[in-house]
Amino acid sequence: MFKNSLQSTPSIVVVALALVIAMAGILALVGGLNGRETATTPAGMQGKGRTAPVVTECFESREGSTSVTRVENAVPRYGYPNLKCSKTTQAVLWYGDPFDGTVPMGEMPDIRDGTRGDFAHAFVKPREAHLTYFNMGPDGCRTCHDGRTVPVPKSKSARPLAMHQDIVADSMQLQHGRGALWCLDCHSATDRNKLIDHLGNQIGFNQPQKLCGSCHGEAYIDWRAGIHGKRIGTWATGGKKRWWVCTECHNPHTVQANRFDPLLPEPPPPLPRGMRNANHERVGQGVH
Amino acid sequence: MSEAERKTDDDLHDGNSSRRDFLRNLGIAGASALISAGAPSESMANAPDTVSETSVQEFLQGHFVLMSEEEKKEAIARLEKRYSVQYSKKTTVADTPAPEGVLFGYALDIAKCIGCRRCVHACVEENNQSRGEHAIQWIQVMKIPKGNFSFSADRLDKGYPENSAVGDYGVQVGGNAYTPAGGLSTAHAQNYYAADEAVPDKDFFYVPVQCQQCEKPPCVKACPVRATFRDENGIVLIDYNWCIGCRMCQLACPYGARRFNWGEPELPAEEMNPKTHYFGNRPRMRGVMEKCTFCVQRTREGRNPACLEACPVGARKFGNLLDPESDVRKIIATKRVFRFKEEMGTYPKFFYYIG
Repeated sequence: MFKNSLQSTPSIVVVALALVIAMAGILALVGGLNGRETATTPAGMQGKGRTAPVVTECFESREGSTSVTRVENAVPRYGYPNLKCSKTTQAVLWYGDPFDGTVPMGEMPDIRDGTRGDFAHAFVKPREAHLTYFNMGPDGCRTCHDGRTVPVPKSKSARPLAMHQDIVADSMQLQHGRGALWCLDCHSATDRNKLIDHLGNQIGFNQPQKLCGSCHGEAYIDWRAGIHGKRIGTWATGGKKRWWVCTECHNPHTVQANRFDPLLPEPPPPLPRGMRNANHERVGQGVH
Repeated sequence: MSEAERKTDDDLHDGNSSRRDFLRNLGIAGASALISAGAPSESMANAPDTVSETSVQEFLQGHFVLMSEEEKKEAIARLEKRYSVQYSKKTTVADTPAPEGVLFGYALDIAKCIGCRRCVHACVEENNQSRGEHAIQWIQVMKIPKGNFSFSADRLDKGYPENSAVGDYGVQVGGNAYTPAGGLSTAHAQNYYAADEAVPDKDFFYVPVQCQQCEKPPCVKACPVRATFRDENGIVLIDYNWCIGCRMCQLACPYGARRFNWGEPELPAEEMNPKTHYFGNRPRMRGVMEKCTFCVQRTREGRNPACLEACPVGARKFGNLLDPESDVRKIIATKRVFRFKEEMGTYPKFFYYIG
């Protein structure tokens, strides 16, 4: 009906057209005012942009555990760096490439769990590169623990140590295992570049899970199932993932005091406009 | 929506879509007429032509879900062009479809969370939120004194009658605002705890809250223009260009998960993430709503969300709820799991657990 009248009266068409053009113009203006059209120029953006220096030396999980370096354009497809870190704490916040610096996990014992011994898509970051003492000489720990400079101990029982107070402050008070364990229950007495389990199997520092799992079976099963511990990469079951191993998060020498060493958090969100501080949140600390 | 359905929709609204084309063409003509008439504002005069031209077309575009394939391609090309000029780097706006047979779920261990807020800032790095004066963060970490949580099944039921005379509206009849009958009490939550004290504090526990991706999302019900909707994977998404900024969804959300762009977003070009998705992390404009999408630009391509990858304690787990072998399903099967504000009847797909 309306269509017909439009066709029959050209003058109305002209008026309608003019109206529509005017409407479109107003819409475009409103759009501009609303900021739909973000007309900020690149130059303007740079003017606004903060020039805080990019943090390149960072750490994963906890400080002193795994140090990493930011590499620009590591993923050329998107111009991504390999990772981005916090400007306040140097902690890694974001991965451009989740598999940066990783190697296949390799063979793991088949314990008839959900993984069915399939670790083809499991990747880990080797630990040896991040161990301070291990990297003090070309021979690793054997630089000093060569049997002559430091003799091979005859007993595994606790004794005061002259060295390594930075790792365990008082060697007589090692709390891992609530006093039942001592250094040489996990570190091989004869080859200090290796760990050793209770059956005498030598285990590399890159595979701490094989040692830890021999006592902490519950956590180990959960870790293999994907419930305990951190994994990044793809979300699909059986997809390619980077697994975090035990010592990337837990420090076995202080684990009795802290399952995870305390650390400084990232900054809080900005306060809402008009709020001067957040003291009201702490009134009575839960007593009100 | 399937291809067939979309076709019939287009057929039904054929007249409508041609009207849209007509309007759009007129819009371009109108805008160029304005510019040639010397009417542009100062900022427009400085802006490259591509930016001002594309924004008029953007303003007139329809709902992305209802667009034809060509219209989608056009809309995405427009956005890519504009962002690439604005942020002086090659920007991609993906339109990756939702993977089939997947219902995304999230699990978070409140026994492990140490409140380090790395997830909050990882999310900002990934999702191109506004920095500076109008800073927006999608995740909020609550620091709650111990004792404000009860997990006893008989207490959880108290106060929330299954079948009362007035019906099950999630109305709390037991306890009060300060001492609820059960569940997680946020009455003493601190959201702004300082960054100069080490975490975790032994007297507190930490609960990060983000969009819970409800199966019955109140925000979707509240939206008067259907700019926000639930996708095939159960993720609640927003078409930023279709959003009218009425903030009804923000009021409707019981979790405070939605954020509004009160000002022009401030996103430094060097910090902008150029890999974006139309419904995900593409730069937003003033006056629109935004929220967590479980990193739709990543998860639809198989990768984990950014908050999960940042968590130093492995408290965050993500996966397919329809896959019994997925991490999330294993957690639901073996751990003590609860959902936040369960009494609201929103059926979140974000599960908190005690590992």
